[in-house]
Amino acid sequence: MTSAMYNNNQLRLWSLKNTSHANRLFGYMALKVCTAKCHGSNFSAMLVFLDNLLLSVRYFGHPQARVRGFLLLPFFFLTFVSLNVDASVSIPSHSQNETPRVAAIDWTLVETLMSLGIVPVAAAQIRDYQAWVVEPSLPEQVVDIGLRAQPNRELAASLNLDLVLTSPLYGAIEPTLSQIASVQTLTTYNPENDFWQNLVETTRRVGELTNHSAEAEAVIEHHPRQIDQMKEKIATDTPPLLVVQFIDDRHVRAYGKGSLYDMVINRLGLQNAWKGETNMWGYTTVGIEELITEGYLVIVDPVPMSAEGVFDNNRLWQALPAVRHDRVLSLPAVWSFGALPSAVRFADELYQALTDQHATELGLKNL
Amino acid sequence: MISLHRRASPAYICLPLVIICVVITFNLLKQTLPDVSQGAFDFSVGLSGPEAKAMSTAVFQFSVLPRMTIALLVGAALGLAGVLMQQVLRNPIASPTTLGVASGAQLGLLLATLFAPRLLAFGSEWVALAGGVISLLIVFSLSWHRRLAPVAVVLAGLVVNLYIGALSTVLILFHQEEFRGLMIWAAGSLAQNSWSDTLHLLPRLVVVAILAGLMARPLGLLELDESSASSLGISVRKLRLMVLGLSVFITASAVSLVGIVGFVGLAAPVIVKLMGARTLAQRLLWAPVFGGLLLLTTDLFLLQYSAQLPSMVPTGAMTGLLGAPLLLWLIPRLSLKSTAPSTSKTTLQTARKPTSRMFLWLLVLLTTASILALFVTQSIGGWVFNGTGQWESIVTWRIPRVLAAAGAGVLLALAGATIQRMTGNPMASPEVLGISSGTAIGLIVTIYSSANVTAPLLILAGATSAVITLAVLILLNRRTGFQSERLLLTGIAIAALFEPLRSIFLANGDPRIQQVIAWMSGSTYYVDFSTGLSALIFAVMMVALIPLVTRWLDLLPLGRNVALGLGLSVDRVRLILLALVAILTAFATLIVGPLSFAGLLAPHVARMLGFSKALPHLVGSAIVGALLMISADWLGRQVLFPQEIPAGLVAALLGGAYFMWGLRRY
Repeated sequence: MTSAMYNNNQLRLWSLKNTSHANRLFGYMALKVCTAKCHGSNFSAMLVFLDNLLLSVRYFGHPQARVRGFLLLPFFFLTFVSLNVDASVSIPSHSQNETPRVAAIDWTLVETLMSLGIVPVAAAQIRDYQAWVVEPSLPEQVVDIGLRAQPNRELAASLNLDLVLTSPLYGAIEPTLSQIASVQTLTTYNPENDFWQNLVETTRRVGELTNHSAEAEAVIEHHPRQIDQMKEKIATDTPPLLVVQFIDDRHVRAYGKGSLYDMVINRLGLQNAWKGETNMWGYTTVGIEELITEGYLVIVDPVPMSAEGVFDNNRLWQALPAVRHDRVLSLPAVWSFGALPSAVRFADELYQALTDQHATELGLKNL
Repeated sequence: MISLHRRASPAYICLPLVIICVVITFNLLKQTLPDVSQGAFDFSVGLSGPEAKAMSTAVFQFSVLPRMTIALLVGAALGLAGVLMQQVLRNPIASPTTLGVASGAQLGLLLATLFAPRLLAFGSEWVALAGGVISLLIVFSLSWHRRLAPVAVVLAGLVVNLYIGALSTVLILFHQEEFRGLMIWAAGSLAQNSWSDTLHLLPRLVVVAILAGLMARPLGLLELDESSASSLGISVRKLRLMVLGLSVFITASAVSLVGIVGFVGLAAPVIVKLMGARTLAQRLLWAPVFGGLLLLTTDLFLLQYSAQLPSMVPTGAMTGLLGAPLLLWLIPRLSLKSTAPSTSKTTLQTARKPTSRMFLWLLVLLTTASILALFVTQSIGGWVFNGTGQWESIVTWRIPRVLAAAGAGVLLALAGATIQRMTGNPMASPEVLGISSGTAIGLIVTIYSSANVTAPLLILAGATSAVITLAVLILLNRRTGFQSERLLLTGIAIAALFEPLRSIFLANGDPRIQQVIAWMSGSTYYVDFSTGLSALIFAVMMVALIPLVTRWLDLLPLGRNVALGLGLSVDRVRLILLALVAILTAFATLIVGPLSFAGLLAPHVARMLGFSKALPHLVGSAIVGALLMISADWLGRQVLFPQEIPAGLVAALLGGAYFMWGLRRY
């Protein structure tokens, strides 16, 4: 058998001479493929397969053999299929303590992974992530798997993933993604529970799923402590804060109960001035005439270009109490749907801005 | 056109509006200025003393007042533009929205925001104007061959609107975060915080109004036919161009400030005409007045009750929602001149080529496309031909998509070919009839109102809304015997209902929107093997049923009388065919969304290839439809790799462009 396998030229000659032995020929071909596969690499199996292909083309060219050859086509096809199906059954499994190869669809989960020191194999919409979440920045090697709502599954499948993290927002893709790797849907935005607790749970769960529980506990320990440290230094009589993001020159998003910003403000022992209705994600779209607060008006970047004119020459803006009393704070971009790192970053930026503001106000008083 | 009462005057309808406005304004005044009366609630919660008073005054002075003024001005501008367009085109349903001017302006601004933000600082008005003019030119070039006949113009406008809608959807899908602001603008929010918009629009409106007044007399003569007008010494072409230019300019000015405000431009002139403003001079006066009051009333209502609404409803989208039923009500009351003499010629071209060879070529192409779609793809390393190692990935990911795309393409093509032969109009298609839009409305509402969206629920919702849409189509057209042009207009009105709903959803910036857009733009992404297979099997079954209807479809394009004479009970046949089309469309829309032009394009291409008799035409259309959708699906997966553009959108972009190019001859 072995000699026949490696002696293709003889086989070929034999086949052309003995066209009536077609059945036996194809038997040989299938056998060749199987043996080559047993020998190990798919590559050699493929070479043998290609050789078979050439052989069969020659064989079909032979006029007397065409009819019988045609009958053998299904058998040939089966060889082809078995070769390919077998070739792709090789999904590596990770052991209990290794970091799994993980991809994250939702940016909040990308951020959480990064905070645990895990660089995901793949993430969705990386370019937009870098623009809107900014920190923690993703390294080059992370593969972009396309839109969050429709990640590229073929690409994801080729990455040998063990785990895909997603949020209920992209729930529709869960069934199809679960054909690639185990999919875990983590709910961070759940208005029924305490928001901080949600974040902690998400972090802990991500830690468990990635065998990084110790790191997760450290993050859960560390982050609130940072916020608590800031809380101690902030004056207790700080007036309420109204956090907004500009959408255009006429509309802003005001962040209230259920948002990341609101949660951080409360944790810092401060008050959120926005008491109005908000949606499931804790914000609402309003005109700037509703930004009436006795306390501070906090603007989170990015401010779109069309809105820049508002600050200089809009009389309604200038009539706002916060603006008249110079109580407008401007913060760099912090992802408004972020996880623990974003929360701490927002707290830190807010703390810095409040301290600066406090110093300025004191300076003014002393003058 | 009819008028309701002989002695009626538009004043009778304007006066109640004024009263409503005054009442609500006074109510608002009470709230904003507690000094006027002791209102229980005021804007300045938590403030006290002089500070509160200053703030309330500022809010009133720089937000409430300018908002009311801009509502009046925008309404007036759109009303004026509507009168001028309707007069120039002698078209009772011409308006900035139906002619595609508003959506063209929107696309212009969308592109500028993304690729040239500096241009916006220079003047968003000019960007909007350029977009509006370009889309108007496209609409005209599409309907030029039919001498800008009203229905032809409006249909061309609808196609352009659909196409621009597809383009915008692609942009929004990939730049969701950047377009937060633009989405609110697109839905027509009238919120103001200074007088600058008013000061911007007022002089332009005054100038345009004066110019329009000066041209009123020669314009009035346009109501006569063209030759008599020119014999009276009017350069008809120049006059038309100037007036159209004016109306597009004032539309673009208004649109660039507050966004798309649906239907005021259409409704105001039509309603004042119904209320007795019969001469052009009367309409030029009353339409802007009524338009302004209409928009102001809508806006005041929204301002008053916005707190009770669960989400932000921009005024422009609201008028759009109100306007669509108005159009539906209006259609049976329009006296349409018969304007379709050329259509039978186009549908009954004689075959030029032997069709059997053509079929062979089409099948070869179809096979090539399928092989391409199954085996060739991009990966991180570049282009690859996956013959072997990727078999599993081909089976799990690509085969279902190819099956579904082919199935949807076939279904839409069959629906389109049936409708085109039935109405004798080469512009007709399931998209144009509004069945696709109706299905999409159902899907949107379902996704928005239910917490847990599942595939069976969506299928149910889609099918239900397709049937409802069909029922509306039938109810409104039964009396007129399913006359083709009315049928198409009804479809336009239904499609027009879809746009504002989409805007409201987009304007609220709900994070779920990405999912919704992906669904709406017709992705084969969610299809699994069994769905794909059943789509194709259903499609093949439908193809097998074609011979049952070929006789009807051979006779119907000959015209109602000929068909009747040959023993066809035309009305019953039309009803049956319409039901068939609805089923086909609902199924296909669930897979590839409401936007694909497959139903419009495939029958058209098939006819251009020489398939003129019903049987080869339908089969040819089916193959072309499958070919289009398979290629679109494949291209969508490759063009922006690793991001995937939904197949429905790619088909719309490919098909729409080709269609517009080819349409000029029809």
